[in-house]
Amino acid sequence: MIGRFFRLVVRQMNVQLQIRIFNQYTILLFFLQPLVFSTVGMILARAAGNQTPDLVYTVIGGGIMGMWSGLVFTSTYDIARDRRDGMLELIVGSPTPLARVEAIRTFANVLAGLVSLAAAFLAAVLIFKYSLAGANIPAALLSLLLILFGMWCIGIFLANFLVWSRLGGTMVEFVELPVAVLCGFMYPLRVLPVWMQAISAVLPISWALQALDESLSGGRDLALLGPQWGLAFGISLVFWALSLWLDGKVHDRVRITGELNSI
Amino acid sequence: MGSRFAVEARLLHKEFISRSGFWHTKTKTTVAVQEITFRVNKGELFGLLGPNGAGKTTTVKMLSTLLLPTAGTISILGYDAVKQTQEVRKRIGFTFGGARGLYGRLSARDNLRYFAELYGLEPAVTQRRIPELLELVGLSYKTEDRVETFSSGMQQRLHLARALLHDPELIFLDEPTVGIDPVGARELRSTVKELIARGKTLLLTTHYMAEAEELCDRIAIIKQGSIVALDTPAALKRSISGDSLIDVQVKKESLVVLKEHLARLDGRSSMQVLDAPPFKTISIRTPEPGAVMQLLAPFLNPEFILGLEVRNQTLEDVYVAIIQGEQA
Repeated sequence: MIGRFFRLVVRQMNVQLQIRIFNQYTILLFFLQPLVFSTVGMILARAAGNQTPDLVYTVIGGGIMGMWSGLVFTSTYDIARDRRDGMLELIVGSPTPLARVEAIRTFANVLAGLVSLAAAFLAAVLIFKYSLAGANIPAALLSLLLILFGMWCIGIFLANFLVWSRLGGTMVEFVELPVAVLCGFMYPLRVLPVWMQAISAVLPISWALQALDESLSGGRDLALLGPQWGLAFGISLVFWALSLWLDGKVHDRVRITGELNSI
Repeated sequence: MGSRFAVEARLLHKEFISRSGFWHTKTKTTVAVQEITFRVNKGELFGLLGPNGAGKTTTVKMLSTLLLPTAGTISILGYDAVKQTQEVRKRIGFTFGGARGLYGRLSARDNLRYFAELYGLEPAVTQRRIPELLELVGLSYKTEDRVETFSSGMQQRLHLARALLHDPELIFLDEPTVGIDPVGARELRSTVKELIARGKTLLLTTHYMAEAEELCDRIAIIKQGSIVALDTPAALKRSISGDSLIDVQVKKESLVVLKEHLARLDGRSSMQVLDAPPFKTISIRTPEPGAVMQLLAPFLNPEFILGLEVRNQTLEDVYVAIIQGEQA
């Protein structure tokens, strides 16, 4: 069972890689876009007189923004393409639950998004001479892992809407920027109005990002980091559970409406 | 599950509701399939014929668990297709006509590997099945080529290989030869015959009457969502009558004279004029071809008649008669 699951993971990632590797849109999305975000963030911060701007909310934030955009657009594109090419109904018609296929595919897209982060981080180190001296690296890595986990769970949740209806893609693309703002990819959440901070609190990535900021600033206080990690993990699990609940409903609905196929 | 039927569809009904208007408040219900009932025996090749939009693909999609029926029941190999979806999916294979349903950037082998994982095949089985199936569908020499370089016929054959990966007992083939050249279609038909020889059950939809006549044990003709005829090809041909068809190709200027002359035919024969530019064809259906030939004898010269063919009715004639609402 576990062996089968991992074989499917490897196969799905292989498919994603082969479809994408020579795709210029992918290169633009995962590599150039985060570099542009990070560079603009950096230049704006320095122009405002801050010579050592916050690593998370400029450079790393740009990378995470690239990961998020990549996840949203590739997931939307993957399902729209599968629907258009007649693959979606073949996948649904197989004994593997669609939820599992979408979970694995989203996982592959999240991992691919690490390229964005790596690009942004390299820019930070090589161009803007950032250093990680003093950072709490283990805590930063755990926070990053929770960001990935949060993105994965939200990605699976959104995939249900993409399968639900052909219009789902429009809705998911619509939430791309609001989620980026609400998670505080490019600036601290404290600058947002209180009512927006309340919405941010239900997004797991926002907690993990705060923990990442704290860790990169050298924070070692588990009383502060622990709840942030706990909330990031717990809320991600809620999204994951919601996705499982939605999956059965989506599976029935698309078989009633016939929306598995775009023809 | 010990059912002797591979498929049992009972009062199967499917409606689609479409919404329009800015607020999606206007609804329109389209009935795609209307309370159809039929059974397919194990080991049988069953054909589903009908014009575009008759409900063939919708029926196949309901049987293969891709659509939920609005009403009615479906049993596939003894399993309820609505409630025991996963059990059914493990045991069926399906292909839909056209070149869609494959990843173009992947090779034939990688496409099959992907579906092998979706069907939960063990690596050793996948390793063995892929070359076997590519050999069966005549694509061994294209194993490592990207699918986007394949002709539509090759893609159709790869679809069939995909549908057979998990060695299903029941296979649905929806217009498998659409868009394939005659040689490719013949090869695909021979593969289908081989599958039947191996004991598989097949449900085939097609527009090609000769294909249905050559392959199918029984045929259901579906019109506007309802089954209007169901029998063996031979019995269907008998059911419409034992009449012969005489096609007479005439010059346009001779048409009126010949029609007046043929008006003497008794009530058991019927006549239809078809356009066959630059000529006209008078198609006569008759139980007494000899009598018609006697009547035509004085006109058997190039001034009136340019060509003449006497033939028995084909499945296509039966199909046209049924679909056009004539006596069945």
